[in-house]
Amino acid sequence: MASDRGQSEDFSGPLKRLLLGVLLLCLLGLFLVWRIDSPRVERFRAQVVDRVVPRMDWAMAPVTGAVKVLRDFQSYQRMYQQNQDLRRELQQMKAWKEAALQLEQENARLLDLNKVQLDPRLTYVTGVVMADSGSPFRQSVLINVGGRDGIMEGWAAMDGLGLVGRISGLGRSTARVILLTDTSSRIPVTVQPSGQRALLIGDNSLAPLLDFVEAPDQVRPGDRVLTSGDGGVFPAGLVVGQVFADPGGRMRLRIAADYERLEFLRVLRSFARERIDDPGDLIVPPQGPAPDITAEAGDG
Amino acid sequence: MADAGALSLWFMRAVYAGIAGGLVFVHLLPLDARPPGWAGPDLFIALTFAWAVRRPDYVPPLLVAGLALMMDLLFQRPPGLWAALTLIGTEALRRRAPALRDRTFAADWAAVAGVLVAITLGYRLVLTLLLVDQPALGLSLMQLLSTLIAYPLVALGSHLVLGVRKSAPGDLATTRRLP
Repeated sequence: MASDRGQSEDFSGPLKRLLLGVLLLCLLGLFLVWRIDSPRVERFRAQVVDRVVPRMDWAMAPVTGAVKVLRDFQSYQRMYQQNQDLRRELQQMKAWKEAALQLEQENARLLDLNKVQLDPRLTYVTGVVMADSGSPFRQSVLINVGGRDGIMEGWAAMDGLGLVGRISGLGRSTARVILLTDTSSRIPVTVQPSGQRALLIGDNSLAPLLDFVEAPDQVRPGDRVLTSGDGGVFPAGLVVGQVFADPGGRMRLRIAADYERLEFLRVLRSFARERIDDPGDLIVPPQGPAPDITAEAGDG
Repeated sequence: MADAGALSLWFMRAVYAGIAGGLVFVHLLPLDARPPGWAGPDLFIALTFAWAVRRPDYVPPLLVAGLALMMDLLFQRPPGLWAALTLIGTEALRRRAPALRDRTFAADWAAVAGVLVAITLGYRLVLTLLLVDQPALGLSLMQLLSTLIAYPLVALGSHLVLGVRKSAPGDLATTRRLP
């Protein structure tokens, strides 16, 4: 038996080495192809994810649910304190609700006066978070709506409170949302009330960096940050969060969305707006002497 | 008798693939979308290396490559590179497995540490050369260290629970241990 085994190893040695070489070549080749033609391989990746992850969903949902129940159970121990906190917050909320109602009425009146048309196409598709990125280096989640639901790359995803990220990576029934905290996330934003344009840069920390501000001294901690819609990818005016200054003095953002428990995400349908390219023509009456003029010009 | 051996061999390969699938599953659970700020051990690497030193026949190259590539794709890493390096590391340890068989655990650990540091450096070097965005150095180092710390635990676990232990001298011909 032992000699038998030794022989077979002798025979298969070169074969194994060949197989190993081919495997390594395939893997490194795939990596190089990815480096050269990233979108194609990323589409392949999205398809693989689309195949694999929904199959795990039946087990993932109950496990996630169980862990969340356990966490909630732990929080029962702090029930009294939470109750106090909630009461205090409720008081504040009531004041804000009053203010919001008044503002809503005022806004409706003003819109009515101005005859403003709100964009009727800003509707959304809601998806459930299925999986996260699985790696401490990348920040993204997978949701259970995809190409078949009409989702497109680059659309914005929100939870009920604020912007969460953008779609990047689309399968038939799944889509990946790159979170604002991912190192590849760059979102053009406006800081209210000063109206400064800036770029929100994720750096793998919970508070993304606010950079490329036109006049940094006009931005103060506590300012609200909305998407600006620059570049035409995102709809403008989505709530992103609040500015605060980190100990190093740089402006960072406290994100409005609740990243601790992302369950349902809304993907906003945003279609490319029509661009106005031509510099403007001479306006001529639709009929009448116009053809004659051009004919004369041609003769002269 | 040969059938029983082959059966247990394939069973252990299936166990290996099953553990890898379980690790993917746990990693993908959407419990918290906040960036963690720390990086846990790469248990798949620890498991693969531990088994490659102890029982190289349980981790065939094709299986390692397939699983590692799947993880690359699912975890949003540059596809292929880390899988290739994992495979190279596994093969290097497989080469050294006979020499390590009658050495102490410390020698085994040192060999794995050397390979792991080498492939981590190689990974970062290739990514730098090809101008790919790469994770923060601190996080990578943290992952490297925690993997090295987790390695003895993984080795102990597979020794006690799954019966993956170095074959003693003279044990080769009669390896019919069912798990």
